[in-house]
This record gives sequence, C-alpha cells and structure tokens, in this order.
Amino acid sequence: MKKSKYSAVKNIFIDSVDKDNFVELESATFNYQVLKESLDKPLKMILLFGKPGTGKSMLLNTLYHNLKAKKEIHYFDAPILSEKEFLKNIYEAMASQKIPQNMRVNFDGLLKYCQKLKGQREVMFLLDECQLYSEALMEKIRLLSDTRVVKFVITLHKTENEDVIAKEHFKTRIWEVIELKNANPEDLEIYIQKKLIQKGFIEVSNMINKKDIKFIHTCTKGNFRETNKFLYTIFNIYEYYDMYRPEKINSTRLSKKIIEMAAIKIGYIHD
Amino acid sequence: MINTKELEKRWYRYKTKGFLAILAILAILTTLIYGGYYILYKLDLNVDHIKESSRPKAVIAEKITEDINTSTTNNMDMEINRSGVMLAPSIPIVDLEREKLKDKKSTSTRVARTQKTRHQRVQSSKKIVEAKKSTYLTAKELSVVSGKTSIKRETKKIDLKGSHSNYMGIMKKKFNSNKNPREAVLISKAYYNAGNYKKSEEWALIANNLDKKLDESWLLFAKSKYQLGKRKEALKILVAYYRKSKSVKAKSLIEKMRTKRV
Repeated sequence: MKKSKYSAVKNIFIDSVDKDNFVELESATFNYQVLKESLDKPLKMILLFGKPGTGKSMLLNTLYHNLKAKKEIHYFDAPILSEKEFLKNIYEAMASQKIPQNMRVNFDGLLKYCQKLKGQREVMFLLDECQLYSEALMEKIRLLSDTRVVKFVITLHKTENEDVIAKEHFKTRIWEVIELKNANPEDLEIYIQKKLIQKGFIEVSNMINKKDIKFIHTCTKGNFRETNKFLYTIFNIYEYYDMYRPEKINSTRLSKKIIEMAAIKIGYIHD
Repeated sequence: MINTKELEKRWYRYKTKGFLAILAILAILTTLIYGGYYILYKLDLNVDHIKESSRPKAVIAEKITEDINTSTTNNMDMEINRSGVMLAPSIPIVDLEREKLKDKKSTSTRVARTQKTRHQRVQSSKKIVEAKKSTYLTAKELSVVSGKTSIKRETKKIDLKGSHSNYMGIMKKKFNSNKNPREAVLISKAYYNAGNYKKSEEWALIANNLDKKLDESWLLFAKSKYQLGKRKEALKILVAYYRKSKSVKAKSLIEKMRTKRV
C-alpha cells in the first residue's frame, strides 16, 4: 500500500509537551527569558497563567530540560492531588531518597528540614495544572516557599473562576506573574512554518498562504493546541486524497475546500 | 482515516448554505437600496413642497410688495425669459416680439396716462361743478366728466407669421456662426411650437451640450420627450435635473407631467 507524505506531516501536529516541539516564537522566547531571569531572583513563587493551549506546559517543560543540568530543578507535569503523595514527592526530590510505602512525610518535619537547608541549597519545583490543587495544599506550598529554600513555579489556567484564584488566593504570595496569550496571525504563521520546516517539509510550508493562516487563526483564535488539532485534521484529509484521489489535490497550495472540510469536522464552522 | 465522503457531503451543504445566505443578503440589500431611493426621492419632493408652503407670512407679504413694485419691469423680463429671447435685435422675430412687448408696455402706460388725464378732467370738472353749483351742466361739460371726448385708438396688429418662414434659416445661420446655446434653445423652442418635437429635442440637446446650466434646454428636452410619448423618460430627466438644480420651473413641469397637464 502506497504511503503518503502527509502521514508524516500530520504527525508533526500531534499535541505533545516535548521540548523538541518547542517553537521559538518572539513571544515564547520573551516569556522564556522572563521566567529564566525570575528563577535567578530571590522570589518565592512565580505564576505562569493563560488560557488552555497558550503554551504554559511547553514553557515549563522546555525550562526544565534546559536547566536540569545546571540547577536543582524538579518538574511535576501532572498534578498530585493527594497531600500525602505531594509531600512525599517533595521530600524524595529534595532528599534524593525513596520513602517506604508504609511511611508518610510529616509537614512540620518537612518544614524543619527545609529550614535547616537555608543558605545551603535552593530547590526549584515546577508545578503544572495547579488549578487542580486544593486550597489547603496551596497553603502548604506557600509555607514551604516561605523558607526560601524551595522555590515554586506554578501554572494556572485562566478561566473565569481560576482568574479569581489567581487574583485572590495568591495575591500576596506571588512575586512574579507571567501571562501567556494566544498567538496573533503573524506568530501563528511563524509557528506553523517553523514546525514544518524543523521536520523538513519546506514544500508543504510553502503551500500555506496568508489567507489560509487568517482562516486558521479565525477558527482557532490563535490557540496553539487548537491550531495543532486543526492542522492535524487538514493533513489527515490530505492523506486520504493523496492515497485514493490524488487528482483532487494540488501540491502547490493548500486546498480551501480541504481546510473548510477540516473546520466542519472539528466544528469551527457548521454545515 | 477520515470519512471524506461524508465530510464532502457536509462541505457541499455548507457551501450551498453560504451561497443562499449571500443571495438573501443581496436581495435584502437591493430591496433596501431601491426602497430607500424611492422613499428619499418622495420625501425630497415633499420636503421642498412643505418648505415652500411653510415660509413665514411676513416674508411672503414682503415678497408680494416687492413683486408689486417690480411687476412692470418683471413682467417684461418674464416675458422675455419665457420666450428665451435675449439676443441681438437683428433677428426679425425677436424684434417683433420685443415690439409686441414694448407695445404692451406702452399700451399699459398709455392706459395709465389716459386714466390720469381722465382723473384730472374729473377733478377739473368737479371744479366746474363746484363753480356752477346752481346750474345744470352743459352737454360739453358732461362729456368732459364722462370722458366721452377721448378718441378711439386704433389697435395695432403685428403679423408674426410673415417672418416665420425665414426665421429658422436665419437662426440656424446665426447659431452656426456663433455657437451660442441660447440660439439653439430658440430654434428648439420654435420647433416645439411648430409641433416638430423630434427636431425640438435635437436642438435642446445641442443647447444642453453647449451649456449644461441652461434651464430652458432641459425643460424643452423633457417637454419634447413628453410630446413624443416618452413620459417616463422625460420625468426621469427632469427629476435628475431638479435634484441637481432645484429649479422651480423643473419642479412645476414635473408636477404637470405627473398629472398629465402638459
């Protein structure tokens, strides 16, 4: 069975938090630099917030991989909802030793342990999806960060409710706030093209013109996750045509019909 | 892999809907534009009518007095304007018309003068009556009072037809030499009066091409069209001209054409 080149193209847009997929956009690079500089300052907590799909997890992941060799940094990509498990993970990361299953970490003990390390070590924890943590656990995170031995970078989704959390709950504790926003059409164009070029699909990148980008941006509102989903669907349809009805597609420009078909499939436009 | 056949069907449905929506929008827009144009046109004429009728009375009164004061001179001007003749006296018909107008004026002054003398005579007769209170008036005196002594004036008849045959030739020759749009208007008017509306229309157009602001050329053109049975076209032209110029004559002609009173 013939294999289409579009199979590989569509896979580029599979949503994954992989540092290799990080696209250096102007805004992303700027946010990365701000975050990196904030980590060098004696700040207790740094908040990264933005709507889902704005690249928060990708930024944390990239930061972790770039700094893990130089700094004592730990990345919790999935939220640990149990307090017991959370404290255990913090202690294990700091002490570099495993705790037996039948034992638990006492919070006061952990606090004292941190205080003993004051001035000797600085451990950084990158916590993703913090909107899922309970208020009590967030309070413990704050107390730990007060020791100035543990530094937290937390990410929050910016929805209406979580916006309140970001403003009220952490108001006095957050020292640096970095807001991530959706991409504008220009950024989105660079994002798509860089993704394709990075994987060697220059001719596919040349197929996409400004009009297509404008349409994609209108549908996805500049959200990276949505854009990935949209492009995946577009090239998925391309794959079908390439394999079964190649006369229907043009390899010099992206078919408007296929873009619209993908938009219908995802639900951006309705038939 | 995606079921493209189903997706294609949905895409065709989407496109058809989009096409229908555009058609509907276009239909609505066309209706709105035509409706708006019609309403605006109607309102425009009505507003003008209201404006004219609602002008303050004092202004109208002032205008009336002004009109009375200038009536004698204006009458003549209006006569001249109506005929559109303001040209050199070398053209026989023009001279005749002027003479006719002059005659009219002189007749009116003569009438006024006669009335004045009659009044003076009455005054003097009154004096006579006063002087002879106790006596009857003599027949001579009575005739003075009643004005019977005034001599009957012979009415002067001007034959306009005599020079008409030559008129067109002279006018056309004159127009060819100076290309004056007013000459063209005169020719058009002469043709119109003679019932040759086709020629009248042609000459009105020539005049109009030379001077777009010439009121008479528009009116004659429209009138000729009207007489040729192209009422709608004539109205269209007049309305367009009225919108641009706000000419009172054009407006009254529009009304006349609408009520078929031309």
